[in-house]
Amino acid sequence: MSLLGIFHDLLYGIGVAASPTNLFVAAVGLLLGTAIGVLPGLGGTNGIALLLPLTFRLQPTSAIILLSSVYWGAIFGGAITSILFNIPGEPWSVATTFDGHPLAKQGKPGIALAAAFTSSFIGAFISIVLFTFFAPPLAEVALKFGPPENFAVLLLAFATIAGLEGGDPLKSVLMTLLGLLLGTVGFDIVSGSPRMTFDVVALQSGINFIVIAIGLFGLGEILLTVEEGLRLEGVRARLSFRDVWETWKLFPRYVWTIIRGTALGFWIGVLPGTGATPASFMSYGLARQFSPRGHRFGTGEVEGVVAPETAAHAAGIGALLPMITLGIPGSPTAAVMLAGFFIWGLNPGPLLFREQREFVWGLIGSMYLANVIGVLIVLTMVPAFAAINRIPFGILAPLIVILSSVGAYAANNQVLDLWIMLASGLAGYLFKKLGYPLAPLVVALVLGDMTEQALRQSLIMGQGSPAIFLHRPIALTFMAAALALVALPALRALRRQARGRRGAAPAPAPAPRG
Amino acid sequence: MQRGELLMALGLVAGALLLVREALRLPIAWTSAGPGPGFFPFWLAVGVTIVAAVILVRAWRAGRRRDEPFVPPGAWKPLAIVFFPMVAVVALIHYLGIYLGGALYLAGYMRLVGRHRWAQVAVVSVALPLVLFLIFERWFLMPMPKGLALEWFLYGR
Repeated sequence: MSLLGIFHDLLYGIGVAASPTNLFVAAVGLLLGTAIGVLPGLGGTNGIALLLPLTFRLQPTSAIILLSSVYWGAIFGGAITSILFNIPGEPWSVATTFDGHPLAKQGKPGIALAAAFTSSFIGAFISIVLFTFFAPPLAEVALKFGPPENFAVLLLAFATIAGLEGGDPLKSVLMTLLGLLLGTVGFDIVSGSPRMTFDVVALQSGINFIVIAIGLFGLGEILLTVEEGLRLEGVRARLSFRDVWETWKLFPRYVWTIIRGTALGFWIGVLPGTGATPASFMSYGLARQFSPRGHRFGTGEVEGVVAPETAAHAAGIGALLPMITLGIPGSPTAAVMLAGFFIWGLNPGPLLFREQREFVWGLIGSMYLANVIGVLIVLTMVPAFAAINRIPFGILAPLIVILSSVGAYAANNQVLDLWIMLASGLAGYLFKKLGYPLAPLVVALVLGDMTEQALRQSLIMGQGSPAIFLHRPIALTFMAAALALVALPALRALRRQARGRRGAAPAPAPAPRG
Repeated sequence: MQRGELLMALGLVAGALLLVREALRLPIAWTSAGPGPGFFPFWLAVGVTIVAAVILVRAWRAGRRRDEPFVPPGAWKPLAIVFFPMVAVVALIHYLGIYLGGALYLAGYMRLVGRHRWAQVAVVSVALPLVLFLIFERWFLMPMPKGLALEWFLYGR
C-alpha cells in the first residue's frame, strides 16, 4: 500500500472518529478509564471486561472507540495513585511509584503528575504514528497465511507470554494449557457435541472469558490488596499550570530517554502477550543505567517518571497492532477487547483491513484524537480524580464486588457464572501467591477456539500428519521461534537448579505481580 | 508456602486427571471429519497432568523447609472480612437478586466493617442499586438477576 494511500485512509479514519457520536463516546471512555485507572483493584483489563457487555448495543466502531479510550484513560489514571498515594492503580505504573511518590512527598506532586501525563502522551503519539505506517503492510503479509501459519503464530503468541513472564516457566506453560482447556468447554464447533461439561447443562454454552477475567483480576486482586494491608494515605493533589510549564522546560533533556522508552515500549507491546508492564520496568531500568543522574534514581528524579510512562503508553498502543492485523492480542487488555470483536460479529485477522475499513481506520483515527483529548482531561482534572481515593474502603470493596457481579452476570445471563467468578477469584488469589502467572491463562482462554480450529484444519490439510508444519517455511520459522522462547528460560532454570544443588537450596524466582 | 505449593500441585494433578477422563468420553482419534472432538482437550489435559506432576515432584523434592506461612499471621482477619461477604453476596444475588441482595450486602458491609453512620448506610445502599436498576433495566434493557423473591413480587410467578 502506498504512503499516499495510508494518508488518505488516515484522514478518512480521523473523520470517522471525529463524528459527534464517536467524539462523545471517546470522551466518556477516557473519563471512565481514568477513574478505573485511579481505583485500586480495578485496572484497564477489568474495566474493559466490565464495560464489554454494555457495548452490545453500540455500532462496532463506536464500541471499539469506547473500549480503547477506556484503555488510554486507564493508562493515564494509573499514574495518579502511584504518584499521590504510592499505590499503583495498574501493574504497569509500579515503576512510576519509584520516583513519582518521592517527588510528591517533596512537595512537588504537580511536577511528577505533569511529567507522567506529558511523557505518557508523547510515548503514545509517536507509537500511533508507527502504528499507522506498520499496521497495513503487516496485514498484507498476514493475508497470505493459511491454517498452519496461523497455528504457528498462535503458538508463538503463547510462547512469548510463557517465556517473557519472568517467573517459573513450568507454571507459565501449565497456565497456558489450562486456559486452552477451559476454552474447550461447551459445544464443539465441528461435531456439535457438548464437551468437557461434566453433564452440567449451563456449561454447554461454554465458560465465558469475561467471567473468568473478572474473577481472576477483579476479585483476586481485592484479596491480595487486603492481605497486604490497605493503607490509603495520600498527598494533597494540586496541579497548577506553572507546574506544567516548569516540567515541560525539563523535557528537552530527556530526549534519549523518551526515544528509548517509546521504541522499547512499542516493540514489546507488539510482541504478543507482553503488554505495558514489562515494558515500563525495562525502560526504567535502562534509563537508570544510561542517565547521567542514574545514581539518584529512586529519590525523586523526574526522568525516573518519564522513562516508565513513555514505555507503558507506547506498549499500550503497540499491543493493539497484532490484535488488529493478525487477531492476536498483544496484552491481556487487548485480549479482552478481542473478545469484543466476536460479540460485535467481527472476525479479527488480516481481512479486517479490507472488509471493515470504517472500523479499523476509525479506531486508528480515534487513537490520535483520544490521546490529545485525554492528556487535556487529565491535566485539568487531577484533583477530581484523586478524590475517588477518599471513598472509604468500607464502601469501595463492596462496590467493586457488586460491579464485578453485574459484569459477570451480563456476559451470559446465568447465575451459575457468579459462582464461577467467585471460584476464579479464589483461584486467582492462590495462583498469584504461588507464582502461577494469570495472563497466559486468560490469553489462552480467549484464543482457544481459534487455536483448535487452526490445528484441526492444518491436520486435515496434512491428512493427519503433523509433518505439514515442516513443509511450510513461514510456519516452521514461527514454530522454531516459539520453541526457542519456551526452551531458553527452561534451560536457564535448569542450569540455575544444577548450580543451586551444588551450593544453596534452589529457590524458584517469584513471578512479578501483574 | 511450601505446603501450599505441594497442595496446589496435587490439586492440579487430580483435577487434570478428571479432565482427561472427561475428554475420553469423546472420540479422540482420527474421524471422517479430521481429528475427533475429544482430540484437543484430551492432549491438553494430558499436558496439564504431566506439567503439574513435574511441579509436584519438584516441590516434594525441595522438602519441607521452614519458610514463611502462606498467609501472613495478621492477614487472616482482613482476608476473612472480605472473602466471606463475597461468598455471601453471590448467594444473596442467587436468591434475592442483584438489587435487593446488593443493597443488603452494601448496607451490612458499610455498617459492620466500615462502621459508617446509619444515615450514610441508608443513602448509599438505596442509591446504588437504584442507579444500577436505571442503567441496566431502563437504559440498556439488560435484565439483571432479580432473585426468586423480587421475581414473584414483580411478575407474580
